[in-house]
Amino acid sequence: MDYYVAIASIIGIHALLGLSVYVVAISGQMSFGQQGFFAIGAYLAGMSTAMWGLGLVPALVLGALVAGAMGFVVGFPALRVRGLYLAIATFGFGEIVRLAFLNVRYTENIGGRVVGPNGAEGFRHVRYVYDRGFTGLHYLAVILVVLVVVVILFFLLERSKVGAKLRAVEEDETAAAMIGINVTRVKVVAFAAAAAVAGLGGGLFIHYSTYIDHDMVALPLAIASVTYPLLGGLGSFVGTLLGAIVLVGLTEGLRGLQGMREFVYGGLIILMMIFRPRGIVDEALVLRVKSWLSPRAPREPVQAP
Amino acid sequence: MLDATEQFINGLMFGCLYALIGGGFTILFGVMRRFNMAYGSTIMAGAYVALVPVYLFRAPAWLMVLTGIAAAVLVGLLVEFCCFRFIKKGHELAPLMTTIGMLIVINEAIVHATDAVGLKYPSPFGDVALELGQFLVRRDYLAVLVAGVVCFTLIFLLLYRTRFGRAMRAVAERPEAAQILGVSVRRVNVLTFVLTSALAGVIGFFAAVSVGSARPDMAFFVTGKGLVVMVLGGLGSLPGAIVGGLVLGVLEFEATWFLGATYRDILAFVILFLVLVFRPQGLVGTRTT
Repeated sequence: MDYYVAIASIIGIHALLGLSVYVVAISGQMSFGQQGFFAIGAYLAGMSTAMWGLGLVPALVLGALVAGAMGFVVGFPALRVRGLYLAIATFGFGEIVRLAFLNVRYTENIGGRVVGPNGAEGFRHVRYVYDRGFTGLHYLAVILVVLVVVVILFFLLERSKVGAKLRAVEEDETAAAMIGINVTRVKVVAFAAAAAVAGLGGGLFIHYSTYIDHDMVALPLAIASVTYPLLGGLGSFVGTLLGAIVLVGLTEGLRGLQGMREFVYGGLIILMMIFRPRGIVDEALVLRVKSWLSPRAPREPVQAP
Repeated sequence: MLDATEQFINGLMFGCLYALIGGGFTILFGVMRRFNMAYGSTIMAGAYVALVPVYLFRAPAWLMVLTGIAAAVLVGLLVEFCCFRFIKKGHELAPLMTTIGMLIVINEAIVHATDAVGLKYPSPFGDVALELGQFLVRRDYLAVLVAGVVCFTLIFLLLYRTRFGRAMRAVAERPEAAQILGVSVRRVNVLTFVLTSALAGVIGFFAAVSVGSARPDMAFFVTGKGLVVMVLGGLGSLPGAIVGGLVLGVLEFEATWFLGATYRDILAFVILFLVLVFRPQGLVGTRTT
């Protein structure tokens, strides 16, 4: 039972990270730096409860807000470039954050334990949740509630004007600008929102694991977070959720296969990209599902003349 | 001041290794218009397999390099086959993901084969530093410098003095036009992989020699440096990669000297971020994107 609770908790946290990448992706860009915001959220939320005596909810909110503000500050200059350049720039940002936390020391001695970011040692003893008698199952509920709230926001976003604007910017920036969309503002806002979601995931993570260090937010986490939306599909946020469930579920579930997990993981990514380059839930599938649900919607993707 | 000059010289020599890494990424990017995330793994595979003859008998350095090159070329062809050949047109991000998948697979294969421990590398160039006037110079860095000069000379001769080089440049410039004029784009792509993978074999050997061991995190290290160098020089520019590599080498050695090793890597990525955002055409480039 504990085992499944643990897997479900990891899926929930990674789904948030995947959704963060997804928001950037639907504005037509790819970010390899969301793990940096994840780290910021984690460290800040951790300090809030373990050192500053805040409760869990204010801590998570603070982590998300600061990560979001950071996303705004970074997004403003970074979004001047696009495509591969942005992917590399965001990765550079993620590494800067990681290496910064490798060097930051800000600790207090609380109850005989060294608490706080402690350079290469990492940030240990964030025990707020378990000290208050939460079990793994309780905390899973917390993660799922946060995830559901974020998903509802996403659902509203996809049907809102902002969502339409994002898609328009992805499709054709020039055309979007011509019909009066402020492309820069849309992109920066999306990037900041994405950063906040990643920060939220980080805050949830550190309280789940009680511990984080710089190695946990390195390139492998960036790769994982990008894989969920790309494998799950960019047609809808459902794809990202599906991607996280399939990949985390698969890799954790395959523990019986000993060291073969990574081979299956890597091979799956390759095969998926060859046969379904837009992921499981791609735009065509979304349209087909929509046409089942409402008979008036177009049955085929409308081709540009 | 003398020490800072010595660091400058060391940085310049070690920068040749960065230039080679950046050069490999750049040639691949220039011809394929795609980024190959598995290139770092190709380099690492070359470095590991080059050790095999050392374990079998007392192999000389040149045999290690040749073995590394052969292994890297095989891995490179595998990457081309699995990650690029079957990708449908118009999916820019798909090769990025497939090569990431390949990176995971190759790294895991190496971890399996070696139990994830670093393997000690022989130092064929000797451990005693060479005295050049007032300066102490490491022999393996000097070897890196020689390797850099030789490799880049060969690459430039190939690119500008042979038919294949002309075909490569044509495909890099405009693949459709090259195809119409009778250049087989697929053939050029495959041969580009052979060329850059052979280079990867050389890089792997010298990278491992100068660090003293082959370690499983080498692929990430090399990929990070390759990205920075590519960006510093301007994406797709080979002279840019050389300049970028030397600049990064000097910066890192001076930063280690003046600020300490922990701040060295941060500096590299801060520069990467700033150059990307404020000068995306690179340090030497003029082309607007």
